[in-house]
Amino acid sequence: MKLRKNMSYLLSLFIAVAAAFILGGVIMALSGHDPIEGYTLMFQGAFGTQRASANTLAKASTLCLCGLATAIAAHAGIFNVGGEGQLYLGAMASAWVGARLTGTSPWIAVPLCLLAAMLAGGIYAWIPGMLKVKMKVNEVITTIMLNSAAIYFCSFLTNGPLKTAEKGVSAGTDAIDPAFMFSRIVRRSSLTESIFLAAIIALVVWYLMKKSTTGFQMKLTGENERFAKYSGIKSSKLALWSMVASGAICGLVGMFEIFGLHGRFIESVSSEFYFDGMLVAMIMRYNPVGIILMSLFFGAMEIGGAAMELNASIPSSLIVLIQSIIIFFMAAEQGITAAFQARRARKKAAKALQKGDAA
Amino acid sequence: MTELSTIFNIGLLQNTLRTATPVVLCALGCLMTDHVGMTNIGVEGMMLIGAFSAVMGSWVCGSWWMGLVFAIAIGLLLGLFYGVFVIKFKSDEFIIGVALNTFAMGLTTFLLRTLTGQSGTFHAPEGNLSTLPRLSAEWLNSIPILGDLLNNNTLLVYVSWVLVLVCWLLIYHTPLGFWLRASGEHPQSLRSAGRSPEKMQYLASLLCGMLSTLAGAHLALGYLSTFSENMSNSRGYIAFACVIFGRANPPKVFLAALLFGFIDALGMRLQSVGISSALTSIFPYLGTVLMMVLVVWRTERRKKKLAQ
Repeated sequence: MKLRKNMSYLLSLFIAVAAAFILGGVIMALSGHDPIEGYTLMFQGAFGTQRASANTLAKASTLCLCGLATAIAAHAGIFNVGGEGQLYLGAMASAWVGARLTGTSPWIAVPLCLLAAMLAGGIYAWIPGMLKVKMKVNEVITTIMLNSAAIYFCSFLTNGPLKTAEKGVSAGTDAIDPAFMFSRIVRRSSLTESIFLAAIIALVVWYLMKKSTTGFQMKLTGENERFAKYSGIKSSKLALWSMVASGAICGLVGMFEIFGLHGRFIESVSSEFYFDGMLVAMIMRYNPVGIILMSLFFGAMEIGGAAMELNASIPSSLIVLIQSIIIFFMAAEQGITAAFQARRARKKAAKALQKGDAA
Repeated sequence: MTELSTIFNIGLLQNTLRTATPVVLCALGCLMTDHVGMTNIGVEGMMLIGAFSAVMGSWVCGSWWMGLVFAIAIGLLLGLFYGVFVIKFKSDEFIIGVALNTFAMGLTTFLLRTLTGQSGTFHAPEGNLSTLPRLSAEWLNSIPILGDLLNNNTLLVYVSWVLVLVCWLLIYHTPLGFWLRASGEHPQSLRSAGRSPEKMQYLASLLCGMLSTLAGAHLALGYLSTFSENMSNSRGYIAFACVIFGRANPPKVFLAALLFGFIDALGMRLQSVGISSALTSIFPYLGTVLMMVLVVWRTERRKKKLAQ
């Protein structure tokens, strides 16, 4: 039964993706571009060279971590829309610690930076989590507000108290010791060693959500908080801690960006990475394995989209349109399938009635 | 002392009205859906699309009122779209809202590039866009503070005040408003009374779409007379918070939006005494979080009092 449900979901997903791509093609054609050429460029841009594939994989790992961060909170019934802010603060904290520890052994410094990122992200998620659990303040709104607050705060630090004195750097904090940086796996790509850490995190999250008792308790809390409470589960504590875990993962994503690519905190550390990851998580209904696979697909779309913009001057915002169309379809999926099933059942009943009359 | 007078002066109150108006309009739309039991966080995206369509309308037709007509028409379409997904397909409101906001970002950025060939911020090639007219009455100028405050605002500022009153009358003093509220609080009873709750929900989401895009129109054609990517900048979410703060009661929501406008304007004023703009930009967002905490704290206290 479960398998059949999953199969039907995958079928819907396939139809939704195909329909979204066809719509995207129509939009391309209407705006005076050749859709076949556009999609070919997109595919080549995502997988054409070793470097392109590496970039796709790097993008996918970022999306995947952000998606898992959304999922782990949503699993316990709390929506973390504030990952972007947690990501910024995690990046800022790790960059600050990294710059202060210049000269020490990477074996001491990097774990401390990891810790700093997790703490910054986690604490920043703890605030709306606490407000939700203790006071029932709507976490969707508070986390969105805290996003903007964190981004502006980091901008203030970068241009004010923490601005580097180094010449030739327009806006950024002090550089971290190059010895702390993750090295690149494929040259001139954005794929760095941080992907191994990302894989470990993904594995832990999957185990926690799908295989552990805590994960089951989280699920109960998310589905029916009162029932969970009566079964002796400390539901508010669970919800709060999954929010903190979610924030810690987001903080790490920020740290990976800094220690993999930029070498110092810069204001453009993320361009709504978390929101893209959140969309992936929503499409896959917060299923960890699904999120990992879908991130690859979305990552390829985004990297390919950038190449498409460069080579055929088709705006890459078309990709955002296609992605949101997929979500519209998937959000309506249950409603549409239910309508279909009801129609089929009605027909069946009508037939059975006719047969009865004939006999 | 001189510093204080550069912050706290009539300009502060004027700015309060300006920044509050898009939030007021959007919040009025949002509270309509709130009354019928739908939580629409998609108002953010609706506002952004509204801003874009108003600018396009004004640019193509060369008149501000065509910009408004464009915005309202697109708003009705968006409301219908939202309604079909949430009411007919029974989609998750939260997911549809998030998807709508992402869609709005993608759509406006894409269309800006393809229709005008510009990116980031739109500059009309022929010079200035036709913007909303400012209204003034001579006799008001003789009254000291009120004259400065009430004169020289754009048309939509006054429209928004009228709409607050209209919405309040509609929701609490007409049969239609009664049915709207009933469809949110007790849809079965409304159905037994021979009215369709779905129709009421569609009506609310149409109104919501229209008011949110109108908010966007004011944002784009009011004082800035331009469109830039992501120009709504979380104002839709702030409007949503104002609805919660004002318990979906139009006059109270209006006051909440004014409070937000005041915080925002205060932040802008503080920049003139040398406080970093990045720091003052945090004000409205933190202010909204505090507002949310305050409203819950207040309800809790009221509940406790009732229990005693």
